[in-house]
Amino acid sequence: MTTTESKTRRTLRDLLDPAFMARLDGLDILSHRALRGKLRGERRSKRRGEGTEFADHRRYVVGDDLRFVDWNIYGRLDQLFIKLFLEEQDLTVHLLVDASASIAEPDRDKDRYVRRLAAALGYIGLVGNNRVTISLFGDGIVAEVSNLRGRGHVARLAEVLLDTEAGGASDFDKACRQAAATRVGTSVIIVLSDFLFKEGYETGLRRLIGEHYEVYAVQTLSPTELEPELAGDLKLVDVEDADASEITVSAALLKYYKQTLAAYCNGLKDFCVRRGATYALANTGTPVEQMVLNTLRRIRLVR
Amino acid sequence: MEWVTPITGLLAAAISVPLLLALYFLKLKRLAQPVSSTLLWKRAVQDLQVNAPFQWLRRNLLLLLQLLALAMILVALAGPVLSMVSGAGRRYVLLIDRSASMSATDVEPSRLAEAKRRARLFVESLRTRATFGLRETGDQAMIVAFDERAKVMCNFTSDKRQLAAAIDAIESGHGRSRLSQALTVANAFAQSAGEEGGGRRTAARLVLYSDGRLADVDGLAIAPDDVVYERIGQSRQNVAVTALQARRPYESPDRVTVFATVANYDTQTVEVDVQLSFDGDVLSVRSLTLPAAQPDPEGGPDRPGRAAVEFALTQTGGGIIELRQLNDDVLAADDAAWVVLQPPRRSRALLVTRGNVVLESVLRACPLAGLEVISPDAFDAMDPAAFEAQGAHDVIVLDNHVPAILPRSRYLVFGRPPKGIDVVVPQQIENQMIVDWRPQHALTKHVNLSNLYAARGWRMILPRDADVLAEFNTAPAIALLQRQGSTFVLLGFDVFDTNWPFEPSFVLFVYNAVTYLGLEATGFEDTMLTTGEPLVLDGVESGMAVRVSGPGVDSRPVQIGPGPVARFVGTDRVGVYTLTVAGQTPRAYAVNLLDDLESDVQPAENLVLGAGRVVAAQEDRAHRANLPLWPWLVLGVMVLVCTEWIVYNSKVRL
Repeated sequence: MTTTESKTRRTLRDLLDPAFMARLDGLDILSHRALRGKLRGERRSKRRGEGTEFADHRRYVVGDDLRFVDWNIYGRLDQLFIKLFLEEQDLTVHLLVDASASIAEPDRDKDRYVRRLAAALGYIGLVGNNRVTISLFGDGIVAEVSNLRGRGHVARLAEVLLDTEAGGASDFDKACRQAAATRVGTSVIIVLSDFLFKEGYETGLRRLIGEHYEVYAVQTLSPTELEPELAGDLKLVDVEDADASEITVSAALLKYYKQTLAAYCNGLKDFCVRRGATYALANTGTPVEQMVLNTLRRIRLVR
Repeated sequence: MEWVTPITGLLAAAISVPLLLALYFLKLKRLAQPVSSTLLWKRAVQDLQVNAPFQWLRRNLLLLLQLLALAMILVALAGPVLSMVSGAGRRYVLLIDRSASMSATDVEPSRLAEAKRRARLFVESLRTRATFGLRETGDQAMIVAFDERAKVMCNFTSDKRQLAAAIDAIESGHGRSRLSQALTVANAFAQSAGEEGGGRRTAARLVLYSDGRLADVDGLAIAPDDVVYERIGQSRQNVAVTALQARRPYESPDRVTVFATVANYDTQTVEVDVQLSFDGDVLSVRSLTLPAAQPDPEGGPDRPGRAAVEFALTQTGGGIIELRQLNDDVLAADDAAWVVLQPPRRSRALLVTRGNVVLESVLRACPLAGLEVISPDAFDAMDPAAFEAQGAHDVIVLDNHVPAILPRSRYLVFGRPPKGIDVVVPQQIENQMIVDWRPQHALTKHVNLSNLYAARGWRMILPRDADVLAEFNTAPAIALLQRQGSTFVLLGFDVFDTNWPFEPSFVLFVYNAVTYLGLEATGFEDTMLTTGEPLVLDGVESGMAVRVSGPGVDSRPVQIGPGPVARFVGTDRVGVYTLTVAGQTPRAYAVNLLDDLESDVQPAENLVLGAGRVVAAQEDRAHRANLPLWPWLVLGVMVLVCTEWIVYNSKVRL
């Protein structure tokens, strides 16, 4: 295994640095559905043995299984609490990575960031013995490796991330349709994109969101998108569909742009929250490590 | 505020403003900037357009600045001026005095420079014609510079540059001031249409820049309303040499007596030093006290205080005598006077005789430069004009010969007087004794004629202006007559008909006569001129190279006119002029001012025209000039352009 590991680490090192990867070893992808406290036996477990990690307490209500009462607390507080366990479920971690022109142009910041983020999440998933599928989409899904399990497949993960060229128009709806069709069991779907789709993100996301599926939307924006530094009379050319917009930059226009951007991001956030998905905003200016270890932990994507 | 050239401004506006707007609203070439998505930008632009009503203004700030700068240029082109001269286009004649009194330096740098400055100011304030105006004409002016004669420097025109150049070209001179010719010239031009007449004739207004020392002002035919007298000058401090003469007494031709008069025009007594130089060497300096000028009891100009001075020199040669007063005063042109002194010349005599030993020997005994003897036929065969031109002989002695030709010269005539000189000879007389003669006359001084007996003679009936120096019993014996430019000493008898050759008085008389007539040949007058008078030299042949040099003139060739005479009229300045004929010795001419009216530099308060009409002098006010506003507007344009540049280049978002 060492040789395979060293071989994979060498390739993945192109995306992530070893110190970071060492820290990622201790993490795992979470699924919030686990907090509903279903019976242990009702699902297939990854480990042979029982999932015993204690996660949380809940007040006892009539009808709960008495086996899960935490007697220590009862002894101390004279109140009944049920212990909740994190089930290590047989999760499919599906990474939907935007590989269209809007990510790659005009500079490759976003593209690199997104790939690194995908690499980190994919690595965490593989290390946590989950089933990892990674799909890169542009006009529909353009590259996919599915059902990778275990460290041995890190190389393949790295391969697909490094070798796929970004570019081309984007059709989010088509990609989501394709992704939804290949779903197996409980899935955590993480969409890494800038979500700046002319046709809108609603239809696509609606396809992904369902009872058994957890959707995480990580909107990645570059600093030049968040705080543009343009000046003068410009003709803005969209890299995906070559649509031109003529503007004369002024303070007022920038103000309106930022307002529009904020409204758009908030709109996406509201959409996600209302449908039970989780939203996070990634700024490519902040390092990937910080994103993964702080922000994604905070939204409980990883632990 | 008024507009000088409004049509120009409007026309320029009609062209440039639409052009600027068109340039702005044409498609601007925008820089292409790739962005990941224009989704949000488009929404932002829509929001902006909806919500910001003055966005158009902000976006087009540069356009506005440029429009404002263009507007200022257009206003400047329309030529706004303050304080315009109202009225139709007028015509002015600027008469600028360039006589000697205008060289006075009481007004810095000189009165003429001040006159030129004021004339230039006047020209500046003339209204110009609108560029596209159809009926309006601008003011026109004409520049005439005058001293004794008038010179038109520039005809009627509105071109200010041409007028200013004409004013600058006026040079100072040392002539006298006379206005009549200038007025005649001005009137002649005023009647003509001028450069831009267009058929309308407005009476021209005269503006006179002078100090008022005009010799003929009371005879001028102008109305006081037509003339504006700009008085220039303020001082009256001047000391001048007003008369100078040098004489050689004929009895001692080595000596020269110089007579001079120096005048003081100031109201105070002055002490002056006068200096006499000969050919540049100072011979003598004297101090004089000049009394103050006194007002004329008859109301004329003040009478200057005069003093006379006399110098006696011994000079055997010729040269230039200069008398200079050494005080500093405002007018330098009259501080010195010159006189050309001719060397005492021995006469050359021509004896026309058939052979007269007595006369010949007596003449040879006289101090002559040369004696030539020719026969009467040879004399008659000569060309009188050539003889005069050559000037080879000063005295012609006619011995019993009535000549057929009578060239201008000095004659000592023995025998029958020549014809054509108003002397009638009715008959001959006999047995005459001299009864009376004038012993004080130059010809008969020291001559004792008491023993003179003439066996035969001619009775002469002389004209009334003849001088009878000796008389016979019944007729004049010796007479002195001036006729036709010649001088005649007439002796009405033949020498051999008398006993005179045996008398010592004969020799003495011939000596006196020759000397007296020889001195007459050397006159001073034609070498002493006043400024403006031409130098005239006759007896030149056409084709000879004649050059003149003098103050302000440097070896200029002189044209030989019909005559043939060589004539040079450029004697504008005082000093000594030299005429050089190729191959001959140079001749000197002294040109002096010697004019009371010019030397009295007190500027006249008023011009008194004929019949007592008075033109008061203009107050020396700051000349009202039109203040053009265009420089301020151009400055504003520059400021706007800088602002526009700043706005364009900075990142300041407005």
